[in-house]
Amino acid sequence: MKIMISAEGVDLESHVAHRFGISHYMILIDSETMAFEAVPNSGATAQRGAGMQAVVFAISNDVKAVLTGYCSPAAYRQLTANGIEVFTGLSGRVGEVLEKYKKGELGKRTEDNGRLRSIARIDSASLVHALTGSTRQFANLLPMLISVVLLIGLFNTFMSKGLLSYIFSKSPVLDTLFGTCFGSIMAGNPINSYVIGAELLNYGVSLLAVTGFIIAWVTVGIVQLPAEIAALGAKFALLRNALCFALAILIAFLTMTILFLVSG
Amino acid sequence: MSVKTTEKTKKTKSISFMLIFPVLVAVIYGVLLAIKPEQGLLALKNSGRIFLNILQPLALVFVAMLVLNLFLKPGQITRLLGKRTGIKGAMLSVVAGIVSVGPIYVWYPLLKELRKRGTGNAQIAIFLYNRAVKPFLLPMMIAYFGWVYVGILTVLTVLASITLGYVVSVLIKEKDRPGSVI
Repeated sequence: MKIMISAEGVDLESHVAHRFGISHYMILIDSETMAFEAVPNSGATAQRGAGMQAVVFAISNDVKAVLTGYCSPAAYRQLTANGIEVFTGLSGRVGEVLEKYKKGELGKRTEDNGRLRSIARIDSASLVHALTGSTRQFANLLPMLISVVLLIGLFNTFMSKGLLSYIFSKSPVLDTLFGTCFGSIMAGNPINSYVIGAELLNYGVSLLAVTGFIIAWVTVGIVQLPAEIAALGAKFALLRNALCFALAILIAFLTMTILFLVSG
Repeated sequence: MSVKTTEKTKKTKSISFMLIFPVLVAVIYGVLLAIKPEQGLLALKNSGRIFLNILQPLALVFVAMLVLNLFLKPGQITRLLGKRTGIKGAMLSVVAGIVSVGPIYVWYPLLKELRKRGTGNAQIAIFLYNRAVKPFLLPMMIAYFGWVYVGILTVLTVLASITLGYVVSVLIKEKDRPGSVI
């Protein structure tokens, strides 16, 4: 079982760090073999969000228990919601604290720590939290959505069906290729692709082309490509986007074939 | 710290883009209403009609968002993407991609970190692909395209993501990363 202790130094002789998020090191210890590894905490100098970075670190390292001096209520909630036990109010040397933990001498933090409880019970605080989060997410997508709707209003007023028929040549392959290219260049919340896609259908553009457009909207990101290359490397980003482009066309054809077979 | 700074910069850039687009649309309408008021009003009327049509599905989108936020914690998504490999790893990446919310730039720094800690290219590719399946947007999609079409497209998207993960894992070898091929 893996235990994580916030520490001032790199070995078991160092002191337990008081603050979980901004401790200098995180010591990961296998409680059975006692093998340990000290990892510099990337959030040590962070102004904000250090606790959450440490939470992500704990979760991604499959930690089962966190031992520290203090951790914020938000970090505590995330840790316990992910099945990680949290022991706070600890000080002294890492090795000593670890021994106490192994002997069962440490008391868990006394607040709500049940994973099941957090799933089964919806209290007013979590409802308010969810409501606030949803309202924020919803408010974030509204400006773009309203702008897209206004743009479609313009499009409807000025775009003639003749012009669209000219662009979408009624050749299934070319139509889908155009639709997929259009979706690859555009970006943003998928909801906008549905609104635009439905309007394209009203203008007589084929569902095949619209399907390629909708899939490529999310899976291919020409606009985000520099950011993806920076984060995940050029080879991965370019290959992923190229494959997603091909898959968008393939899915469009498969969807239409199955739809045709299902609906006769 | 550097990850945080990058995330902050991208967030600022995206906020600017989010503002530029609505402002640009408002300017176009302003100019249109000034020079061709009749057509400007017609465009507004057309927009109002579209907006009225999407109000009901939008309300369902909000309810679905609320339910997801109530039962799903952000850390649980990270846990799904952990270091698990094989079919189980692929399926968990599918689930993580489907339930993930927020713009993609928020996820890049986290994916970078997870990759450093052993998450494979296949899992990341599967995760990114499944962002196309959004349960809270399904009411909207069904309202526009019908549930049969949405059902077929959703199943094909998930299957395509696993195919993509496999092809990525074959074409990009995972150096010094044990067992990361699905």
